This record gives sequence, structure tokens and C-alpha cells, in this order.
Amino acid sequence: MSLDPVKAFLVLFVAVLVQVSVLSAYTPFGGSANVVLVTLLSIALLRGSIFGAAAGFGAGLLLDVAYLETLGFTSLLLTIAGFWIGRYGETTARDRFHTPYTSVAVVTVLYAFGTLALRFFLGESAPAQLVVAALPGDLLLNLLLTLPVYALVRRLFPPAVSSDRVREVRLLG
Amino acid sequence: MGILVLASLVLITVSFRSDALDPAEGVAATVLRPFEVAAERVSRPFRDAVGWTRDLVNAKSENEELRRQVKSLRRQVILNESAQQDVAHLQALLKFRDLPQFQKDYREVSARVLTNPANRFEQRVTISAGSNDGIAEQDVVVTGDGLVGQVTKAYPSVAVVTLVTDDDSAVRAVDLTSQGAVGILESGSGSGTLVLERVTKDRDVQRGDVIITAGSSGHGALPSLFPRNIPIGTVTSWGQTDTDLFKRIQVQPFVDLSSLQSVLVLVPKHPRPEVP
Repeated sequence: MSLDPVKAFLVLFVAVLVQVSVLSAYTPFGGSANVVLVTLLSIALLRGSIFGAAAGFGAGLLLDVAYLETLGFTSLLLTIAGFWIGRYGETTARDRFHTPYTSVAVVTVLYAFGTLALRFFLGESAPAQLVVAALPGDLLLNLLLTLPVYALVRRLFPPAVSSDRVREVRLLG
Repeated sequence: MGILVLASLVLITVSFRSDALDPAEGVAATVLRPFEVAAERVSRPFRDAVGWTRDLVNAKSENEELRRQVKSLRRQVILNESAQQDVAHLQALLKFRDLPQFQKDYREVSARVLTNPANRFEQRVTISAGSNDGIAEQDVVVTGDGLVGQVTKAYPSVAVVTLVTDDDSAVRAVDLTSQGAVGILESGSGSGTLVLERVTKDRDVQRGDVIITAGSSGHGALPSLFPRNIPIGTVTSWGQTDTDLFKRIQVQPFVDLSSLQSVLVLVPKHPRPEVP
């Protein structure tokens, strides 16, 4: 039985603790780093869409409980983010160098506007000015986090090797 | 994927429209609390190091400013003590019935800040004390430097504190120097700043004036939740136009709300009056 779900839970649990206890207190460059999002996207890239969606749901629920926010709010956003980037990894570009950076950059922007839209639908205050002003800082910090986080996650979740790949050549005749 | 999205939507709906999930959320938060406390303890040396470095940069200029302030405050303390004795004497003569006083009529519950604001829209933190410690909704939260906010949700072992910089927060406040300049303190446009609204234009407000909570103006039906005399911040600028009815006063809070580590919750010793 694969240990991937247990490893993913532990990694995301630590990421949530780091996020709520450390990173959320600092806003360098006017933005704030989101280590949970970067970790989730790294896991989703390496383990696919279904795994990414489940990991996103769990991580979102943990964040909602830690912040005592509306339950399901972050879960919804992270489930979609995990699924989408997992699908991107499965179909397009898992092994390319730029993949984690592209994924993090795109999802950081979409996550910020997704949060804004969801708050708007729930009838809560959602000033777009705040999101736009902080977005460059958010992007920079998340991209800086991507290098170490993706490297660490890649060690914990090594890409699966295809079992049907030809390992040796036998000469006939 | 579909099931998880649906589950999220159901959770949002139930959690947003009712308090049905509050007990479950409270239990989960209680389970999570030791881990959050541990993470906070582990990270504290690093946070202290960052704070120490930042303070070191500003130390020299701050030192001169503080020396000047100490001289001025020393004189002020003597005057205040004398005035306080006079006030006590006069109040005794008049049998003056005062409103609840900051510190005297409150029990302080100290708590650690477990989480900082989750996003830039909501200025709320969670603290490591709850209804088991006597904390209830609407309790006022301070630090040694001044006002922080008020408790907006109390679970058995944790509570949510809405900071004064939140959009939903409003505090009746007054300029300490110009006692007639009473207004409503709300969230400002800049990050971590406040605005004192509804101060009439005839009031004299100066840059550097200290703003404190005003408390209630009398024993009305809706008394202010914030007792009088809690320091809030200093006036950084103010403006008015011919068409405005009121001054617009920018206030910088004394408390650094972006890096709170511990707070004091003021639990009233006497029950609050019922709101009709």
C-alpha cells in the first residue's frame, strides 16, 4: 500500500502550521507567501489530479479550522487548484523545468481573484484594490518559495517510473 | 473532484448560514491548538531575531526621540497625579456615579495569539483562550501598548478576535488633548491604519495628539463596549474641505497589529447590561 496519502497529510499539516504561525505575520514587498498553496501544487504536479484535489480539500479544511473561518471556503479553492494543476502535470508538462514556476504563478493570480469572487458571492467585503496591490508581492514570494518546496516535495514524492519501459535490449538471431 | 467540490459547497452553505458546525469547528480547533502553540514556540526565536534586527536599524533615531519623550512625560506624570487626587476628592464630594473603568472593573485574561489574519480582507486573529477561561463575545482585547479589538466568537478553548483595523470594527474614540473631539474610529484605507470619523470641524486636532477610547457618554440604553481611557494611537494627519461636515483624521495605532504575539482580554467583573 502506498504511503503517499500519509506523507501528503504530514507535509501539508506542517505547511499549514508554518503558514498560520509564521508566514502570515510577515508581508515583505507588500505581499504574503502562501506555503500551503505552493506545497499543494508541487504535490499535485507529481501525483496527478485526483490526488491533488483530495490533498487540496484536506489542506483547505485544515486552514479553515486553524483560522476559524467559514468551513469549506479555502477547501473549495484549493480542491480546484489541486485538480487543475494535477491535470496539467498529467497531460502536459510534468518534467519540464518551468512547470512548477508556471503553475505557481498562474494559480497564485487565480487563487487571489478566486478568493475575491467567492467573498463577493457570499456578500462579504471584497475590495479588489487590496488584491491588485498585493499581487506582485504574493507572486514574487510564492515563486521564491517554489524552488526549495518543489525540490523537497520531489524528494518525498519521486515521479513514478513506468514499469513497462524497456530496460534491456536482447539481440535475436 | 465533483464530490469534493460539492462537499465544499455544502460546508460553505451550512457554515455561512448557521452555527450548526460551530461545535465541530471548536473541537477541531481545540485539537489543533497544541500544534499551533508548538509551532509558535519553535518559530518565536526566528521572529524575535527578525524583530531584533529591525529594531537595531531604528535604535539610534528612536533613542533620541524616546529621551525627549521621557523628559516631557515625567513632567506630565506629576501633573496627572496631582489632577487625579483632585478628581478623586471631587468625585467623592459629588457622590459621582462613574461608568466601568478600564482595568479596575475588568479581570485580565492573558492569551497567546495562535494565528495572524488569514487574508487581507479580514483583520481577525485567533487566541489560545476561550469560554472556559470566562471569555465571551464582545470582550475587549488589549496589549500593554493599547487597544487591539474585541472578541467576536468564543469557543471553549480558543476565541476569534476582530482587530480594530477590520472593516466591521467601529470604536467610539476621543482626542486626549482636545476632549470635545469625539468620533468613531474605523479602518483606514492604508494597511494597519485607522480613521477617526465624525469629528466636527470646529474641534482643534493636531498631529501627534493621542487618541483613546471614549467609552459611553452616559448610562444610555446602548453603552459603548469599550471602556474609557484605553490608548489607541496617535494622529498622523488630518484634513477637511469646505464641503465636508466633519474632519478626517488619520490615526496610527500604538499596537503593531501585524505581529501580535500575546494579548489581554478584559473580562468584565460585573455582567454587561442587557441590550434591549
